Amino acid sequence: MRSHRDLCVLLAVMALAALLPAAAGEYWVGIGISLAMWIALTQSWSVLSALSGYVSLGHVVFYGLGAYVVVASWNALPLAAALPLAALAAAAFAFLAGWPVLRVRGPYFVILSLGVAELVKFVVIAVEAGQGNASRLILDTPDLNTIYYLMLGLAALATLIAWGARITRLGHGLRAIREDEEAAETLGVPVARYKLTAFVVSAAVPGAVGGVMALRATYFEPLQVFDPMVSFSMIAMSIIGGSDDLRGPVVGAAALTLLSELLWANAPELYMMVLGVLLVAFVLFVPEGICGRLLAARPATR
Amino acid sequence: MTETLASGQLLFAALATGASYALVALGLNLVYATMRLLNVAHGDIVMLGGYAAYWCVSLAGIPPLASLAGIALVGALLGMGAYRGLFRRMLARSRAAARLESNSLLLFFGLSIIVQNAAALAFTATPRGYQTLTEVLHFGDVALTGNRLAALLVAAALLAAIVAFLKLHVFGLAMRGLIDHREAAAVVGVDVDRVQLACFALGFGSAAVAGALLSMTEQVSPFMGFPFTVAAFVVVILGGLGSIGGGIAGAFVLGALETYGVALTSASYRSILLYGMFVLVLVTRPHGLFGRRSIVR
Repeated sequence: MRSHRDLCVLLAVMALAALLPAAAGEYWVGIGISLAMWIALTQSWSVLSALSGYVSLGHVVFYGLGAYVVVASWNALPLAAALPLAALAAAAFAFLAGWPVLRVRGPYFVILSLGVAELVKFVVIAVEAGQGNASRLILDTPDLNTIYYLMLGLAALATLIAWGARITRLGHGLRAIREDEEAAETLGVPVARYKLTAFVVSAAVPGAVGGVMALRATYFEPLQVFDPMVSFSMIAMSIIGGSDDLRGPVVGAAALTLLSELLWANAPELYMMVLGVLLVAFVLFVPEGICGRLLAARPATR
Repeated sequence: MTETLASGQLLFAALATGASYALVALGLNLVYATMRLLNVAHGDIVMLGGYAAYWCVSLAGIPPLASLAGIALVGALLGMGAYRGLFRRMLARSRAAARLESNSLLLFFGLSIIVQNAAALAFTATPRGYQTLTEVLHFGDVALTGNRLAALLVAAALLAAIVAFLKLHVFGLAMRGLIDHREAAAVVGVDVDRVQLACFALGFGSAAVAGALLSMTEQVSPFMGFPFTVAAFVVVILGGLGSIGGGIAGAFVLGALETYGVALTSASYRSILLYGMFVLVLVTRPHGLFGRRSIVR
């Protein structure tokens, strides 16, 4: 089957990428961390949003909560406990918020997810301000290579989860929901349970990713870790790469991480503008994304 | 505490916030009700209107009340450009309503990111403001600056004019026809394309004016728009789809909730209050904002 081969190729590439610290300097390891982070986030996002059509504009909330958990438990918990806890906290939040939020359909879910993320951001800001913290610093964080391996592991895990979600009943059910939720429900797809499962599954890895990125940044500032641009980047990467394809998020993340390396340091606004233009262009002209377009072209040339 | 809450000062602040929300929400309501396009970039048009007024004052010395008409016109042209360039084809082509709504949302979201970051690139992220009509006027125990009063009066007059246009003018009638029943409106000879173009023009134009009025009393910055989009959504949900009168009532409800809520707690809770309202109204109305369809489950 196609998706099995895709999975094997992707995991093989990631295994090869584990050699990067031995072969290249810190600069490249830093880029590797960004790339692995975006792959992990975008793959996770696609489990809910690409498969079920419930486009989440608020996935940064899980990333931010994970970062918050790791920073708040620093010195109190070992990292081996804090990172799973970050994933668990994000998943638990998805579970609790999912009940009311996933009942809201279509475009309303999209703006609601954005609203929930912003609400959590402002609540965290208020809580931190109430305790007299504008931002927090953490000391004695692991070295760059360790962070790289952690992130690469999360990227592989997210890819595996995204593959699993696509080949199981869950994936078929989610696709049925995307095409016609009422029809799916009539045919016996447990709509509410599947949506909630996908939401929780797609929240866990971003929680751990946020935790690892807090180690990288060594400080925590709510406005930064809950930045809606993180959610926006996930969507743009997924749609540009081709959201229904297991390779899509990887291709989109690679393309945009490269672009961001070229532009971000000097002109972050320009990078965001290019991202916006790409998103508009792909939605209008190539809604199936790079991978979808290449796949569709293949039978014609054969 | 009760004395502060009963003061005319606070009541005026609530009215001023309500009037500006009403003007912002009107355009969002029109575009959504006629075409089912959720314009998440709506607040960014408010931001652009604010900058336009600022640059008119600081570069050419034109006071905001004089530049208002021009800003409305530019906003309207932007709206027409967006309709002609992006959305007309999509509206004509799309059969699946759900797909159209999601895709248009992503388009608007992309546009919003482009506009915000272009503004940040061109104007820098530093908030900008100017002084206008700063003399203090006294009405009983209420003291307010001329700019606040002028902004409120202009917003109220504009709202009244737009409501009159929608109620009385044939073209306004056509817009309301489209809101009530798209196909039926087309059958009885409404030129759907022209009405949709006019809705975009009116929606973007009034948002730009709202931004210009806002810049008279508050500083403008590139990323100020999104909270206005959210406030407009809350207002539209409270007031009802396509219900212009309901929207205005909803705006004053939100203005009062926000003003009195902040007065009771602290200014740092303003955002929590606004987004909390937003989440609450959406979660309690899960089957489309405007609940005309019956609940399936």
